[in-house]
Order: sequence, then structure tokens, then C-alpha cells
Amino acid sequence: MSRLANRIFVVSLLVAFMSALPAWADSHGKAGQYGIGKAATAEEIAGWDIDIRPDGKGLPPGSGSVEDGEMMYEEKCASCHGSFGEGVGRYPVLSGGEGSLTEPRPEKTVGSYWPYASTLWDYIHRAMPFTQPQSMSDDEVYAITAYVLYLNDLVEDDFVLTAETFTSIEMPNQDGFFLDDRPDTENTTCMEDCKDPASVKILSEPTMVTLAAQEDVAVTEETSSVDDKVYRQACQMCHAAGVAGAPMTGDKAAWAPRLEQGREKLLTGAIEGIGIMPAKGGQKQLSDQEVATALDYMIEQVKQD
Amino acid sequence: MFSKPGSGPAVLRKVSQEASKVDPAKRRDFLKKGLAVAGGAVVGVPFASTLSAAENNLPPNLPEWSRSLGAGVITNPYGMPSAFEGEIKRRTVPWLTADRIAAISFTPLAELDGIITPSGLVFERYHAGVPTINPDEYRLMLHGLVENPLIFTIDDLRRFPSTTAINFLECPANGGMEWRAAQMDALQFTHGMISCCEWTGVLLSTLLEEVGVKPEAKWILAEGSDGSHMSRSIPLEKALDDTLIVYAQNGEPLRPEQGYPVRIFNPGWEGNTSVKWLRRLEVGDKPWYHREETSKYTDLLADGRARKFSYVQESNSVVTFPCPEKPLKQKGRYELEGLAWSGSGKIKRVDVSFDGGVNWRQARLKGLVLPKALTRFSLDFTWDGSPALIQSRSVDETGYVQPTFAQLRAARGESSIYHKNAIHTWRLHADGTVTNVQIS
Ligand code: HEC
Ligand code: HEC
Repeated sequence: MSRLANRIFVVSLLVAFMSALPAWADSHGKAGQYGIGKAATAEEIAGWDIDIRPDGKGLPPGSGSVEDGEMMYEEKCASCHGSFGEGVGRYPVLSGGEGSLTEPRPEKTVGSYWPYASTLWDYIHRAMPFTQPQSMSDDEVYAITAYVLYLNDLVEDDFVLTAETFTSIEMPNQDGFFLDDRPDTENTTCMEDCKDPASVKILSEPTMVTLAAQEDVAVTEETSSVDDKVYRQACQMCHAAGVAGAPMTGDKAAWAPRLEQGREKLLTGAIEGIGIMPAKGGQKQLSDQEVATALDYMIEQVKQD
Repeated sequence: MFSKPGSGPAVLRKVSQEASKVDPAKRRDFLKKGLAVAGGAVVGVPFASTLSAAENNLPPNLPEWSRSLGAGVITNPYGMPSAFEGEIKRRTVPWLTADRIAAISFTPLAELDGIITPSGLVFERYHAGVPTINPDEYRLMLHGLVENPLIFTIDDLRRFPSTTAINFLECPANGGMEWRAAQMDALQFTHGMISCCEWTGVLLSTLLEEVGVKPEAKWILAEGSDGSHMSRSIPLEKALDDTLIVYAQNGEPLRPEQGYPVRIFNPGWEGNTSVKWLRRLEVGDKPWYHREETSKYTDLLADGRARKFSYVQESNSVVTFPCPEKPLKQKGRYELEGLAWSGSGKIKRVDVSFDGGVNWRQARLKGLVLPKALTRFSLDFTWDGSPALIQSRSVDETGYVQPTFAQLRAARGESSIYHKNAIHTWRLHADGTVTNVQIS
């Protein structure tokens, strides 16, 4: 091809390419070119359009007070999230953690981490209570949202949440976020003598036994004279399968050396926590007596007969 | 434990009962053998003869299966893996989550070859369990800042021109348990929140063109129809690039666990943006800042600030053989294998070190090398029985080099949870076993 012809070719290619771009800004002309799909009516959209934005867009009319929210929260939420938002077992903690974001174990909660209150309304309405999503009226969502804000000291106890008062809420960590600026690391492709061999040290090795634990999730159905309710609720999740190195329930060999320490010592371990096992298996609300019941159940499973 | 149509439940129960009496260390081995027995039961071979037959089936003898007939067609109308492979399965880590409804399971990467993850082994991540959706009752709504809001059925979606792509899907929390220290004892748990499939659907840009996007539009909200109504804000730029509205995976309709009948799929981006059981797309001018892009899926740094909308899964790699699940059983020649990937494009090269990163050798890339897809690499080596610290380091086509743990921690601290893509170390012991370690 001659140089000129070449240039014309390139230019016409460019033109063809540009007009083929899916330029959304001027796609009006092409809208509906396939003629596929049915027009969505305003009513259909209203039924599904549930999203709320930080500027309050999407908030429905309605209101709810901290006072009303307290009872509803206790009834619908506290069983998992705790009466004070402290979280039961591994269910999410909803309050506290202020000032913990720079600590080694930051606690990210509505009060300590969430940038916008709108997110709370949106999420509670969208997905909670866990077992019955979208079962609450707008007023109930307002009230419970107000109460969770109150649990985080973000509003006073006489606060009434509405689409209007909503804008008065200031979330402490609102300015804590910044846009993705990665890559933030710069490694090289060094191939030889990249570091001093003497500097290569093992820093950590796993403490968890996970794969082996998976092999036997089938729990043996044994009848027991000792009440296993607490055990099932708080201990089984780890001790049935030996998660995280927990001595397996019913595994006499694993328990033998532990039993030698005596029941009192074991009970102290279970109440205060030992190694990776958190105090009371992570369920702070259990009384010492309840932990003892669970322990007795576990001991019975490995009784030498 | 290994539910297979046709395998006698009584036999399986017996196997697991026997297994529970065995010393835990020997249990794995026992289960494998027990499974072989159960497998024998499937094809109707008498129980006792399978056990004693083992040696009779080896050369120069004619194996049992060569002297009899096997099962006929449609014994399994939808085929299943060999009953001998019952250990190749997704696994979960119970203590990670409060229950199995809002939970995670992991892909058994050590057991897979090539780059495609079989649909039944794709890792799972749900926030309200897997909904059961009748496709006849499925609708996708597209509305907001558009000229003509529309509702589509599955049939509607299938009438649009379709696109097929092989891409990885990775949860940004993949490896998140390892930020502070080596914690998990298997590849399945250190890296198993990634899978790679062939995805088919309609480009979101095609649907956006059809509804006519208004000039002020900048963001799209994708929302699921399961109980969690998972929602994420996606910049219009991405939506007009390679975002797919997917209805098929590895050649068949999406699996329920993967969003049946329709999910959105954002190639190269954190898996959570690829909302499953998709019901609604809303076009808007600002992001929504919902729970899954504020409370979760933001990356907390050491100084207490957090990165938001950190969508791209940066380049990462891991050696899949040897690994804790696949130790070396004898000295001699081997082919080391691994997987590398990048959310920014193709993998350009992978290097492997046996001495904890002092010296490196370039690996070869095997088979397909596709953008935003798992890429398999390998390297021949001879094992003389010495201990080793095995690492892999990926480089993608943008020139990005997978960072060391020290570099990643220096940049982000230890509380990020998400986007941990540091060079991983396997410690090969003199007895051939492999453990997970972090090194300086
Ligand atoms: C049966 C247990 C249960 C009940 C009851 C429940 N939740 Fe939850 N909640 C959960 C689980 C599980 C999650 C995490 C879900 C996930 O991982 O996506 C959660 C998450 C949340 C979160 C987000 C936490 C975070 O840090 O991101 C909020 C807020 C919340 N719930 C509020 C409520 C409110 C308000 C109620 C009562 C109306 C409620 N929940 C009832 C189990 C429960
Ligand atoms: C999150 C997992 C987990 C939960 C939940 C859990 N444990 Fe443990 N438990 C462990 C682990 C791991 C160990 C071994 C710790 C060690 O020895 O370092 C352990 C050890 C123990 C021991 C032996 C203590 C000793 O001194 O040797 C007892 C007793 C025990 N647990 C009782 C309980 C009881 C009772 C419960 C329920 C109230 C419970 N555990 C819940 C993980 C758990």
C-alpha cells in the first residue's frame, strides 16, 4: 500500500472503530434496537427498588424512636447480636470498638467503622433479621436503626429517626476511607542472590488442624445421661471435629493426658480459655455452671469403661 | 460425607463408623480404603472379594473388571465423578463463621489439573444460603437513569448476542486468615477461594444500550434476590467494558450455588461484585455505599484508614504440587505445578524458588494463557531428599510483580483481611511432607 493509501486506510479504520464504540452517552438513538424485554412499570420498580444512599435518596416516609426500637431489637435481634450489640458467639458485633482501628485487633462496628448511617437502614431493611429478611415495616426499620445508633452512642435516648433527622447523624469514621490507589507494592524479578540465605528464618507455622478435622464431621449419635444442651450450643462446633486442635469429643487418646489434670483444672481451662480456645468457647454469656455442664458431658464421652 | 447416587448408604455409614474408631492420624488413609470398598459396592462387586482381589487385579492377572460387565447407559443420567475420588470435594472451616448459611467453602486446588474448575467444586460464599429459584419466575429489572426501564426473562436474555469467556472468580478474602501468620495447614484453605470457569451470557453493555443510559449516569447497583439481597456499586466504566450477565457456566446452566439462573460477572474483580441470583440493576450517578462496600470489602490499613472500592484482584500465584495435600513420596524427578492469575490481564511469567527466595528459576506457562484467568505453570526438578522452602512469584502483563509478605505488610499492616496476594511459602521436609510457613 502507498503511504497515502495507508494513511487513508488507517483514518477510515479509526472512524469505523470510533462509530462502533459503545458510546453510552449518545446511545439514545440505539436504545431499543433489539426490542427485547418488557417495559418495567413504576409499580413494579417501586416494589423492588429498596436501595438507600448516603444522601438519603431512597429513604421512605416513616419514623421510629430509640425507645420503640429497644423492645423490637430485644425481640428480633438480640438473640444473635446481643442486647448491647456485643455479638453472641460468632455473630457480628454491632457496637463498641471506638478508637480500635489502629490496634492489632481492630473491632469494626457500626460506630467505630461504618462511614454512613444510610448503610445501616439499608442493610437492616434489606437483610435482617437474618432468618426473616424484609419482614419488617419501614417504621420498625426506623426504630431499630435508631436503637442500633443509640447502642453506638451516636444519638440520644430520646432520638426519633426520620428521613429528615437522618441527616443530623454524624458517623465518626465518615472520613476514614480513600479510593483505591493500588498498586502499593513494588517487587522486582531478581533471579540470583536476592537475599542473604542466613536471613531466611521461619516466622510462623500453622496452629490449626483443618483438613484432618474435615474428614469426620459425622457426629456419633450417642445417648448420654448428662445434659448436652450447652455442649451443642457452645462447644460442639470445635470439639466434635477437632477444629483448631481441640481434643475431639469421644477421642479417649486425646483426652487421656488432659483428664489426668483433674476436672477442676479442665474447668478452669474451659472457663478462662486455653491456647486458641477462647474463654467459654467464645460465649461470654454462659455461666460457669453451664460450662461445667458441657464439660461433664464431654468427660462422660471419654469415660474409661 | 461422600454422597453418591447408587452407593449403598449402609456401606458408607459402616465405613464412617469404622473410621471414627480409628486413630485420627490413620483416618484419612482408612477412609480412602473404605471408600474403595464403597466404590466396589456401587458396581455390584461382592464386598469380600474386592478386598482380597486387590492383588489379583494386578499384572500378570486379568483384573476383575475385565472379566465382567459394568453399568449400562443412563445408570447416572447426570454423570458423577468416580466413587474412588470422593475426597475431592469442597470443604469449609467451621470456626470462620457463625453458621453454614452465611459461610464459605473452599475449592480443592491440589486435586485439580488444567485451569477449569469443575462446576461442583467451585468455592461457595453465601450470605443467606442458596435460594431455590424457578427460572419461569425469574426476572431481571434494569432501571434508574435510563430511557426505558425494562424487565427481562431468561428467554429474553438468551435472545441477545452472547459472549463466552474463561475467567477466574476469587473471593477477596482468599488467604485472609494468613495476614498475621501462617494459620491453615492445607492449600485448600490457604488459597481455595478461587475457581476458574467458562462463563456465558450477554454483555452488560448490550443491555445498557438497549435501555438507553442517560448522560449523567456513572454507577450501577447490582442486587441479588436471595435473602441477603447482596448489593454492590459498580462503576459504569467497568459495566461497559467486560461485565457479563451470566446464565451458563462450563457449558451448562449456572449451578444454584453460583447464582442460578442469572448472576452478574465482573472479570478480574473481587468475587463479591459478581452478585449471584441477580434480580436488579439500577443505573445512578453516585455509589450507594452499602454494607458490602463499607463494613465489608474495604481494606483497613495500619494507620486506621481504609481503602474503598478496591475491586481488582492483583496478581497472585501458588505452587499446587508439592503442597500439604500432595507430599513427595520418594526422591527423584518431578514436575512442580502451580497456578498464577491476575485481575489486570494476562500472566507474563512465573518464577519459582526452592530456597526461600534467594535464587529463582523461571517456570513455563502451560496450556492456555488467558487474561484474568487461572494460568498453570510448571517446572521440572529432581528431589534429592533435602528440605526446601518453595515459593512462586508471578508477573502480569502490566509488569506488576507479586509482592513478598514483608512488602505487603509494610504497605498495609496486618488487619486488611482482603486482597492478600503475597508470595506463599511451602516448607518441604526431608520426609517429603509439606507444611505452610511464613518466612523472613
Ligand atoms: C439468627 C441470627 C441473627 C438475627 C436474629 C439477626 N441477625 Fe443481624 N446478622 C446475622 C448474621 C449471620 C450477619 C452476617 C451476615 C453475613 O455474613 O452476610 C448479620 C449481620 C448484621 C449486621 C451487619 C454487621 C456488620 O458488621 O457488617 C447488622 C447491622 C445486623 N446484622 C443487624 C441486625 C438487626 C438490626 C437485627 C434485628 C432486626 C438482626 N441483625 C437480627 C445474624 C442475625
Ligand atoms: C473455637 C473453638 C473451641 C470452642 C468453641 C470450644 N473449645 Fe475447648 N478447646 C479448643 C481448643 C483448640 C483446645 C485445645 C487448646 C490447647 O490445649 O491449647 C480446647 C481445649 C479444651 C479443654 C481442655 C483444657 C485443658 O486444660 O486441657 C476443655 C476442657 C475444653 N476445651 C472445653 C470446652 C468447653 C466446655 C467448651 C464449650 C463451652 C469449649 N471447649 C468450646 C477449642 C474450642
